[in-house]
Amino acid sequence: MNAIEVNKLTKKYKDKIAVNGIDLQIKQGELFALLGTNGAGKTTTIKMLSGLILPTSGDIMINKMDMKKDTFKIKEILNVSPQETAIAPNLTVKENLEFMAGVYQIENKNKKIDELIKLFKLEEVINKKTKTLSGGWQRKVSIAASLINDPKILFLDEPTLGLDVIARKELWKVIEGLKGKITIILTTHYMEEAESLSDRIGIMVNGNLVDIGTSKELIKKTKAKNFEDAFVNIATGGEL
Amino acid sequence: MRMLNFAKRNFKELIRDPLSLVFEIVLPLFLLFIFKQINIPGDTYKLENFTPGIIIFGFSFITLFTATLIAKDRSSSLLIRLGTSPMKSSDYILGYILSLMPIIIIQDILFFVVAILLGLSFSVNIVYTILISLIISILFIGLGILIGSLVSEKATGGIGSIIVQLVCFTSGMYFSKDLIGKGFAKVCEFLPFESSLNIIKGILNNNFDIISTRNIVVFSIYTVLVLIISVIVFKKKMVSDNKN
Repeated sequence: MNAIEVNKLTKKYKDKIAVNGIDLQIKQGELFALLGTNGAGKTTTIKMLSGLILPTSGDIMINKMDMKKDTFKIKEILNVSPQETAIAPNLTVKENLEFMAGVYQIENKNKKIDELIKLFKLEEVINKKTKTLSGGWQRKVSIAASLINDPKILFLDEPTLGLDVIARKELWKVIEGLKGKITIILTTHYMEEAESLSDRIGIMVNGNLVDIGTSKELIKKTKAKNFEDAFVNIATGGEL
Repeated sequence: MRMLNFAKRNFKELIRDPLSLVFEIVLPLFLLFIFKQINIPGDTYKLENFTPGIIIFGFSFITLFTATLIAKDRSSSLLIRLGTSPMKSSDYILGYILSLMPIIIIQDILFFVVAILLGLSFSVNIVYTILISLIISILFIGLGILIGSLVSEKATGGIGSIIVQLVCFTSGMYFSKDLIGKGFAKVCEFLPFESSLNIIKGILNNNFDIISTRNIVVFSIYTVLVLIISVIVFKKKMVSDNKN
């Protein structure tokens, strides 16, 4: 069953087309990476799929529900970890998780919070205000908060941006652990991240979804040496 | 109750910012104390008139720090996250308003405790004044939501200071509007701060004659308009902030 079905999704801002009529199907439990250069339309696509902004035209179906009609029902089953850390700075890590549990009206919130503390190894910072934490810890808290409602669909917008290599690998491990249980849509600029984590990869160029496939399929198709070369080939139309 | 959950979070954010507490509570208390010591002649600086002025002055900082909180939420992506949650616009707006009510009550109680220590007579009107001031504060919180939705975190300081200055000069807390001239007096009459002060003064002093119909109409129109516009602008900005 498809978790996400997108039909001719378009977003226009005055004379600029940010997303140009994309069609996309993502299966339940799949980890789908959305790649593209800066301004390719990845974040705009995620914002439309998560109900944050309205498309100019096109349809979005999430778990067979129509985004236009069932927005609030859909919002109950998805979550987003935005590009910048989205946490309350003067609240402690635990208070942030409690706040997000309240936003989603989680019944067994203490059990869920304990689970997330364990999963993200947040024990040592649990009572610290998030504004005093390093960027890596803040990112972990931000992603932990996005799992508070056991989302069926999770959008991770550049989850490892600015993290050091160890923090990135730790986060990859967590994301790998979620594979199969949650449908994940990930945007990233790191080729190795997309290649090692995702089931399929979509490449966006100037608002268009120009290619979709597994990393192996994309390498084979472009006759490239590795996935980075395959991406560059697709993103530049073979010019580089 | 998503709204209460959001209000709880906002309250914690506000109360843990020492600078906001200094300006919202300590500075007005200091002014109340110092002006009493100077003993300036005239009715304006009598405790029963100056304490309501201090309440309105404290509210102007509520505007400033509400604006800062909202602008900060917009810039930190927290509102992006919440925008994808099942929270509704009413949860946000009422959540912001409710979070400030305990701070308004703390402000009022402290202002009156100090005023009583300085010589203000205790009466049941103080309780009524606190209750009415909660309604008056909605205008100032609404202004904060509007400013915080419109400008960046850096700019909230500048715009908030304008509100503080407008309250000081046009409310009549420091001097009568008629001292400057007719034109200035007219401006004061059409801004909501003098009306807000007169309503609080009238209730505290059990002198309803000083609350004119104009005061009630001006205050009500501004409060309703500011709330409606702030809700519209907040909703619009939540979408437009997410265009990129």
